[in-house]
Amino acid sequence: MWHKISWRLLKHELRRGELTIMAAAIVLSVTAVLSLALFTERLQAGLTERSAEFLAADRVLSSRRDIPQDWLDRAKEEGLRTADRVVFNSMAFANEELALVDVKAVSEGYPLRGELRTAQQPYAADELAQGLPDAGEAWVAAALFQELNLSVGDNLEIGDSTFAVTRVLTYEPDVGFSVFTDSPNVLINYSELEGTGLIQPGSRVRFNLLFAGENDALNRYEEWLKPQLNDDTHNWRSIEDGDSPLARSLRRAERFMLLASLLGVVLAATAVAVAAQRYCQRNYDVVAIFKTLGAQRAQIQKVFILHLLLLTGFSIVTGLVLGWLIQGQVVDLVARYFDVNLPAGSGRGYLLAAGTGLVSAVMFTLYPLLRLIEIPPLRVLNRELTGTDRWRWLHWVASGGTIYLLLWLYSQQWLLSTALFAGGALAAVVLLLVSRFFIRASRQAGMQAGSAWRLAMAGLQRRAQANSVQMLSFSTAIMLLLMVLALRHELLADWQKQLPDDAPNYFLVNVAEDSVEQLKQRFDERDVQVNDMYPIVPGRMTAVNDVAVVDEVSKEERESEEAPSSEQREGFGRELSLTWRDTLPPNNTVVAGQWWGDDPKPQVSIESEVAERMRLGIGDELTFNIGGEVFSVPVTSIREVNWGSLQPNFYMIFNTATLSDFPASYISSFNLPEERKSELYELFKPFPQVSLIDLDAIMDQLREVIDQVSIAILFVLILVIVAGILVLLAQVQASMEERQKELVILRTLGAPAKLLSRSVTYEFIVLGAISGFIATIAMELSLYILQTQVFELAATFHWRFWLIGPLAGAVIVGTMGRLACNRLVRRNTAQLIRRLA
Amino acid sequence: MLIQTTQLRKDVETSEGILHILQPTSLQIEAGETVAIVGASGSGKSTLLSLLAGLDLASAGDVSIDNVNLGDLDEEQRAKVRADKVGFIFQSFLLIPSLTALENVMLPAELAGNKNAEKQARELLGKVGLGDRLTHYPNQLSGGEQQRVAIARAFVGTPKILFADEPTGNLDAATGHKVEDLLFEMNQESGTTLIMVTHDSELAERCQRVLRMEAGKLAEVERDVA
Repeated sequence: MWHKISWRLLKHELRRGELTIMAAAIVLSVTAVLSLALFTERLQAGLTERSAEFLAADRVLSSRRDIPQDWLDRAKEEGLRTADRVVFNSMAFANEELALVDVKAVSEGYPLRGELRTAQQPYAADELAQGLPDAGEAWVAAALFQELNLSVGDNLEIGDSTFAVTRVLTYEPDVGFSVFTDSPNVLINYSELEGTGLIQPGSRVRFNLLFAGENDALNRYEEWLKPQLNDDTHNWRSIEDGDSPLARSLRRAERFMLLASLLGVVLAATAVAVAAQRYCQRNYDVVAIFKTLGAQRAQIQKVFILHLLLLTGFSIVTGLVLGWLIQGQVVDLVARYFDVNLPAGSGRGYLLAAGTGLVSAVMFTLYPLLRLIEIPPLRVLNRELTGTDRWRWLHWVASGGTIYLLLWLYSQQWLLSTALFAGGALAAVVLLLVSRFFIRASRQAGMQAGSAWRLAMAGLQRRAQANSVQMLSFSTAIMLLLMVLALRHELLADWQKQLPDDAPNYFLVNVAEDSVEQLKQRFDERDVQVNDMYPIVPGRMTAVNDVAVVDEVSKEERESEEAPSSEQREGFGRELSLTWRDTLPPNNTVVAGQWWGDDPKPQVSIESEVAERMRLGIGDELTFNIGGEVFSVPVTSIREVNWGSLQPNFYMIFNTATLSDFPASYISSFNLPEERKSELYELFKPFPQVSLIDLDAIMDQLREVIDQVSIAILFVLILVIVAGILVLLAQVQASMEERQKELVILRTLGAPAKLLSRSVTYEFIVLGAISGFIATIAMELSLYILQTQVFELAATFHWRFWLIGPLAGAVIVGTMGRLACNRLVRRNTAQLIRRLA
Repeated sequence: MLIQTTQLRKDVETSEGILHILQPTSLQIEAGETVAIVGASGSGKSTLLSLLAGLDLASAGDVSIDNVNLGDLDEEQRAKVRADKVGFIFQSFLLIPSLTALENVMLPAELAGNKNAEKQARELLGKVGLGDRLTHYPNQLSGGEQQRVAIARAFVGTPKILFADEPTGNLDAATGHKVEDLLFEMNQESGTTLIMVTHDSELAERCQRVLRMEAGKLAEVERDVA
């Protein structure tokens, strides 16, 4: 019988909209978690796949020696695709000219991720490459065409082999960002490698084995392989390792998504908590009637537990469907917009979402339900009776535990969950205290005001306890909203800064000293803005404090991948690009010592990661060998360099007096819009020796990734906003019901509807404004911690939010309060009294 | 003896000390009697009703229904007694807003495990003149109609005792009279014992016995039985 009653109650209540808020809260929490989990998972996978192009693979194993056959076999067993890539440095001869080149020999299948593009002539339109260079052929970067005065069809000698140059290499996915220290690339077939005679025992070669395949297989392989790797000779990497702008952007985006999702989950859970309380309170009378009519406690328990479970089940299913639809739409949009395929999500998201709905519904209802079942039957005669309060501690334990559990379920990170939870709990206590203070203060202010205001403030004060709890949820919701909003803004601004529309898309290298002025002039005439010219003097660092550095590591090893890594090295093992200047370059910050200004004493400034890696400090004497000339200079400053800036960056910068007498070539960068590309040839005609590096392709890729992430973040933001508004709505609804009785009395006593709705609106406006203000303080503090500790961003003060917070709080909460109140005062007094009776 | 109280007393603690809302009261009510409890607001009528119905516990003294001392029973057992023997009608109707008229009437019977709940409920609703309003929710019914639903609900388990707390207090005079007539009519038909709290003296006059409550003291009003 009881299940029939339960079902009946649910059916009617759903139809009559009495469970809307509770159901909406659960639906929202499920929808939010599911779409967040699915979407971020799919986007993450999509992004990783997309960004894997920067490695030309999902994983890369680099080695100084040949890679054992059984490692390859094992990869095959796991179903992974592999390709060989060997990179080394060599001299290349053509047309009786000589140039240092990076030779890349690759096997069938390369690139495993991304694409290779070539053109028929330098700077001509390029197209997707079909396969790889055939035996005896080489594809050559445009820069080398200039350097060696090559034409397509010419022969190029490398080691013992001669290659016919058949295509211009325009884009290699794995070219990386370290364009300044790279020599032009020559791509040959792996089968040609031996013939060059350049691979001898002891030669400076970096062997790379590229892997691509399913994530699970990759992870299994990684687990199997890692213990066998030797840190000195092997390097295993994925795109997320390293310091490239892309890796940083991805890491930040990932953290943001995780954090915002967690906040969304907490908000949704808060909505459930508020709604659960109301859900039970609404049923006080029902339980009293049941008991009066002779219902046993067990019957009531069963009726309401089943009722709740049915409601939860219904809401979870609705939420799952809705979440699936939403993320499908967004994925569709992203896919269409960016022309990428996002891999399908796993079952984890569904489990997580259903779990969140169930856990929050059950746990947040636990105490209210206990209280509900304890309602005495006498309530039918005395409406003030609300049963026992002795389980209140359980409520706090259950609610806190639930939030913590949800945080952990979602993030799977103890530390993050604990930090967020502890921070949140602390903030809650502070918010509670602060809001009490404000309520007291506003009462005093209200005493001097007009009647609606006085009524409002009196109400605020009278319900101080209830109000401070309400304010807590208002503040939490507003704070989380502001936080996500501000963080999104910060992230986007940071990315924008990294890739402004006028970011240089070409790099110039090899500008002769005597053409610098001429080149600048020519650029001026054609209205092309060229950035600072940096002189480059190649040189080696040979000793630190008169102790020679171990210099066995080859250049290829460093250059075979992207930006400088932070591996432990004794020396650089290669020639460095040294430069001089008097002013600190943009994107550089001195973190130790002092920049020299115009101090003429010989000295050097080093990059901070190099300093750390090589254990160098201020005052160390570094010895350099430039073209046979050996000299020593002290380190006088250490610089932090933003490697993500796509600007010329240097490990070693000297003051002008030290280096300016050495012969130098110059490098620089400039921005030339796509539509002016055809002018390039004309622009550089007088400077045949200058090499040009086209960065457009790399930048486009980076932009695309960032765009995708931005869309994702916008999506997360919208979900969080919806969750926040639902919390506010649930809370206003709940507090309206508390106010109902008082309103009815005032109305019966003849208070005009206008006065009542005004006083309620004012009360909510004040509540909202105070909550907004408190939320802003809390947000500013949390953001400071997040920016500095989590997002590797500079801390900023968000003065705009100090206005937006209280204002938005007042407007949103006030509006909701007014709407809820209007509905109430529109009824006639008799109806109201009957409602209360 | 259907209902019997001996030295039944109820005290409540307030900030100003103990308040005796029901002075020691002894009372016997026979099966089939109709009894009105009259008195001013706050005189303790409803308290007495709640003790008689086992909704509340006395501070001292005994109350028994069918020779079962309610004071010896726990909440669950008292609920069982109510389910088996008692029906209620309240001033504010106390229908469950999210159940239809029919479902409201079925509820006590269902809780008691009665398989014929629906049939009985339909009959009773027909009897109170609401046969065509079965699927209406309480808020779609007028006050008088709601109270008629409540009357039907009160009779559905064929209770031995019917407690009515100001059954017409929320209704206008004309509707109130109709509801009264219906209540007495059905009561007579089923031979139920009726215990009614009211301050409507006209309504009280329709009962066989009238008890007057004054400041927690109960006294029988002597009069000629019609």
